[in-house]
Amino acid sequence: MGCSSSLPANSTGGLGNINNENSATDSKNLKVKLVLLGDSGVGKSCIVLRFVRGQFDPTSKVTIGASFLSQTLALEDSTTVKFEIWDTAGQERYAALAPLYYRGAGAAIVVYDITSAESFIKAQYWVKELQKHGSQDMIMALVGNKADLHEKRTVSSQEAQEHADMNNMFFVETSAKTADNINQLFEEIAKRLPRPTPPS
Amino acid sequence: MESPTSAASRVDFYGFLDRMRRPEAAGLFRSIKSFLASLSLEEPSAEADGGRVQAFFAEMEAAIRGHPLWADATHQEIDHALEGLEKYIMTKLFDRTFVASPEDAAADAEVSDKIGLLQRFVRPHHLDIPKVLNNEASWLIAVKELQKINSFKSPWEKLLCMMSCCQVINNLLLNVSMTNDRTPSGADEFLPILIYITIKANPPQLHSNLKFVQLFRRETKLVSEVEYYLTNLISAKMFIINVNGQSLSMEESEFQKHMESATLGTQMSVAGPSSPQGLATSTRGLQKQIDAEAGSRFPFMDSETENLTPAELKQLHGLYRKTVTRYTLLSKALRKLSIDEDQLLASVDDS
Repeated sequence: MGCSSSLPANSTGGLGNINNENSATDSKNLKVKLVLLGDSGVGKSCIVLRFVRGQFDPTSKVTIGASFLSQTLALEDSTTVKFEIWDTAGQERYAALAPLYYRGAGAAIVVYDITSAESFIKAQYWVKELQKHGSQDMIMALVGNKADLHEKRTVSSQEAQEHADMNNMFFVETSAKTADNINQLFEEIAKRLPRPTPPS
Repeated sequence: MESPTSAASRVDFYGFLDRMRRPEAAGLFRSIKSFLASLSLEEPSAEADGGRVQAFFAEMEAAIRGHPLWADATHQEIDHALEGLEKYIMTKLFDRTFVASPEDAAADAEVSDKIGLLQRFVRPHHLDIPKVLNNEASWLIAVKELQKINSFKSPWEKLLCMMSCCQVINNLLLNVSMTNDRTPSGADEFLPILIYITIKANPPQLHSNLKFVQLFRRETKLVSEVEYYLTNLISAKMFIINVNGQSLSMEESEFQKHMESATLGTQMSVAGPSSPQGLATSTRGLQKQIDAEAGSRFPFMDSETENLTPAELKQLHGLYRKTVTRYTLLSKALRKLSIDEDQLLASVDDS
């Protein structure tokens, strides 16, 4: 189950890079706090590990912790977006703590597992929570993970698409295992982020 | 990562003080003095002080960046100066700003008492920590890091204790995932371990330490990864305050039973003549204590039965009733704690 690739050679496995974090946000270099929500076992952290490892940029400083990751994505229009990804614990007993994490987030990814109807119900709960308590302009994505296990699918993509449309989210099915749609997911979020208006 | 006690961070701080003593820095030094003086005239309030201190940090940052003494300084050197400033100011203001109100002191006691009870019965599986991550050695290091929190007075050094604790957990997660070729589960595993470590550590004045760091760590530095891990510790505290049966996967009645016997256990260990310290350190000392007490509390131990007057017999009967009632209660308490009475007695005799 999950993401089956080895750790990158340059992984320090620690909180090495905690100084000098104040890279200024300007119109070409954006920074966004992205929160990950979803039941435990749906592969939240696999999606992020896939994304972080998939970027090939020897100059970028990648911070790999177990639950906080940051990665910079370069877009075609030559803007860069630095994602600071906050993972949350998905078990029911920790659900009440989630608001501490999504407060101030500019983007949220709600993940479920396409082979688990239960995880989709949980995802709908998170979507509702974000609608109620999240910031108004938060970019939200609904993600059906484990798309490679389509023969065991219990959540139809049409149903999920409808739920996403209803809540003004974009929807994508991914496979952290085969890396399908992983980059597209983050690129789409990056494109949708509000650009700061350049000083006139 | 730099440890708060490392030579490097000490050099930073003394470097800052040295620079501040130079004649060119007289203006900056005056600003600091006058800020501290003006603050001392205000009614202490952690939140209001936080706002004033943050504004002063921002003001001083601009002043230092534009100052001739730092004209050729690198970004890092300026940062060191600002760390020095934070440490200097917050050490001066520590007594005023740390545990600033009776409410804070009460909140600290509440968290600490709660943890004291949870320590007695919460096990890793109650929090969804998989067996493969049970690593007492790593956990102990993380516990020790968190317990160092009161050894420092500056927000950055306190924050470093929290970060080191989180780093130990992260290293454990990464090592386990690499050696077992196992998918790391991110926060699903990180947060439960952090909560368990917090319960094991019962860090001193947890509420006040978190509040102090949130209010007085330079705002520009409380971002990204540092903010993430601080948020995790805040949520660990929140989990502990609101803990109930459901959050530990047990029936509420079972949870209440655990809490009651834990309370009983705590009371027994803080009150009563036979404190656990007495048991642990020297049973011989305990015996002496019992003998001495026997003189005053049990005055008939050495009396001959035929010499007792009717009045003394009445007194003896009263004492007997009290002793039996007390013994019955103690037996009941021991059973609640699942302690075998005979084994306990045997352990006291083994001297």
